[in-house]
Amino acid sequence: MRTSRRPPIHTHNRTAYAFLLPWLIGFFCLTLGPMLGSLYLSLTKYNLLRSPQWIGFANFKQIFTDDATFTHSLKLTFTYVLLSVPLRLVFALLVALALNKGIRALGIYRTVYYIPSLLGGSVAISIVWRQIFDSEGIVNAFLGWFGIDGPAWIAHPDYLIYPIVTLSVWQFGSAMVIFLAGLKQIPADLYEASQVDGAGKIRQFFRISLPMLSPVLFFNLIMSIINSFQAFTPAYVIGDGHGGPLDASMFYTLYLYLKGFSYFDMGYASALAWIMLLIIAAFTGIVFATSRYWVFYGDSKEGR
Amino acid sequence: MKKRMLVAALAAMTVALTACGSSGGTQTSGSSASAGSSPDDGQQQVELRMMWWGDQTRADLTNKALELFEQKHPNIKVVGEFAPSDGYFDKLNTQLASGTAPDVFFLGGNVVDYANKGVLLDLDPYVGKELKLDDMDTTMVQYGTINGKLVHISAGANARGIVINKTMFEKAGVEVPQDGWNWDDYARISKEISDKLGKGYYGTYNFTTDGMDIYLKQNGKQLYDMKNGKLGFEEADILPWFQYWDNTSKAGGVVTPELQVSNPPTDASKSLIIKGKVAMTLLPSNMLASFQSLTQDELTMVQVPRGPKGTGVVFESSQGLSGYAKTEHPKEVAELMNFWINDPDAVKILGNNRGVPVTAAGRQTLEADASAADKIVYDFTSRVSEANKKEPFAISYNPPGNAEFIKLSDNTVQLIGFGKESVEQAVSDFYKGTLKILQSNQ
Repeated sequence: MRTSRRPPIHTHNRTAYAFLLPWLIGFFCLTLGPMLGSLYLSLTKYNLLRSPQWIGFANFKQIFTDDATFTHSLKLTFTYVLLSVPLRLVFALLVALALNKGIRALGIYRTVYYIPSLLGGSVAISIVWRQIFDSEGIVNAFLGWFGIDGPAWIAHPDYLIYPIVTLSVWQFGSAMVIFLAGLKQIPADLYEASQVDGAGKIRQFFRISLPMLSPVLFFNLIMSIINSFQAFTPAYVIGDGHGGPLDASMFYTLYLYLKGFSYFDMGYASALAWIMLLIIAAFTGIVFATSRYWVFYGDSKEGR
Repeated sequence: MKKRMLVAALAAMTVALTACGSSGGTQTSGSSASAGSSPDDGQQQVELRMMWWGDQTRADLTNKALELFEQKHPNIKVVGEFAPSDGYFDKLNTQLASGTAPDVFFLGGNVVDYANKGVLLDLDPYVGKELKLDDMDTTMVQYGTINGKLVHISAGANARGIVINKTMFEKAGVEVPQDGWNWDDYARISKEISDKLGKGYYGTYNFTTDGMDIYLKQNGKQLYDMKNGKLGFEEADILPWFQYWDNTSKAGGVVTPELQVSNPPTDASKSLIIKGKVAMTLLPSNMLASFQSLTQDELTMVQVPRGPKGTGVVFESSQGLSGYAKTEHPKEVAELMNFWINDPDAVKILGNNRGVPVTAAGRQTLEADASAADKIVYDFTSRVSEANKKEPFAISYNPPGNAEFIKLSDNTVQLIGFGKESVEQAVSDFYKGTLKILQSNQ
């Protein structure tokens, strides 16, 4: 069986590489060099304007032993990832389920809900978000109708994370479109059969939709985690641009940026970047490692 | 997998910018110069880039002046870029790092940082030829001479003072303070304004950070001792300053920290001074006119409250022009600078927007048709100059690592303001942090 399968797999790989080729060219010609450069810089003291001085692992040592902002920004970024990823995915899935009910003008809805994903990372939307959550903005005006005196969402360090998470959830579109495609692929006979057996809607969702969607969920989860770790614009624009107030918007990427470009410490910033790469790699690795326990590939069952 | 690599790409971008930098600078200016060259006359077409910070008013004035410069120098084209003061230096640093910095850019008290890093054009070869400084105030020439080289041409002088929203004072029935007041008066008046005008109105912004060097000078210390390359104060010297603001805040005279974050005092588009919600704050004198142009309320300026040694304020360069060391057109850069400070039409267009002109002729040009706000500024700056004669203070440059220092100080103020830490604890951490910043920037 296996031997007979090998040649097609080989051609499969070739096709895959052909599709990957543009990216591979980009990686080897544009990305790899600078990456190695930053690895070198992370071992130096480099103020951007003078040539780098070799200092070995001193940057890393300082980051791990003597940098409260690093610890803080890491914690903040984790909080953000843990809040925004599940919320965004749940929201995207719910909207996808609603749109999968066979409503009219699906194309329009799909487009409308997808737009935020395209705009969400932009500076303009972040500025709008600032206005919406301003202490005299729409959100607080809305809360005011119910007699709630809303806090200064943007200006108070304890609340700033929520507008930023909301902005991330609002960009549910791309995950939603992928969920929707996944839902469409689930064979209708599964639902019909279960209906005959007397399963309710909720049971159908947990026993059919969710397992059948797990590969899509897996993909979305990984993409969301990686994207969330890299969140920069919302923190930079919704916050005061320096991580304030009181480091409440000091996301890891923003700290990295400030270190490099505001504080003239590019060596240190490169070290931070490599640590972030490792963290994201570790997270992705964990998700991959656990995937065989919860991701269900309908078509590869015999292959295992 | 692909995305994971993208992360790496992001990480590497920092380096990518530097990698393409060394060649990028010459490329941009080189190609633009050749693109602009037209064969109509023998003179070679040159394109300069210039960058400044500020608001739209300043941008309009600057662009107008640049247009005039182009008219008078048909072979030079100047492309202007500007950014709000908030992001300006990040942008400049990035461009310097990648070798794509503009030919001319504005710098403030942080000029030393840049001079020490060797990125500024040495202007000495052009003095007396393209760049005429005979009429410029000698103190200003000295200010721009760092490590024995002229690298900075001041574009205006100013002095910090307390801007007063007179209309609010009248509403509150509080007498407008006079020069010679002290910090106790300041705290008392702030509280009075807050109390009399009620909820949503405040006596003053919190300027712990911006006023720190002034406070230290008033007490015979300084922020940064440039000669010896070390801090000019001890932890105990600065603690009372933070305590003063904490007490004044607790008494109710100071804007809440939330409002201060959402309406930063020096951002003219958001300032609560302009909105008539805050009555006083520390402001550089050159900003008074643009503040006044945005409000119906009447504004004026008085000197900073006195400490034991005086006001600690000096009439000094507010900002100025520096050339990029790698510029391909140093001569034209010098010509532009010369135009900026000496050309009467340019002086007329630019007015006091960046400070009072640095040449006597320039000041005379402007005094002829000064607006009411301008007159307040002239009156104020001359009072400061008079005071300086009796109580001289040294001009101060920012400490190295200034951006990081400002951030640390603002954080400390907020730690106290939002009630996260005691003043003593916060100041102790602040002092340690300051030492660390200084150390890593030397």
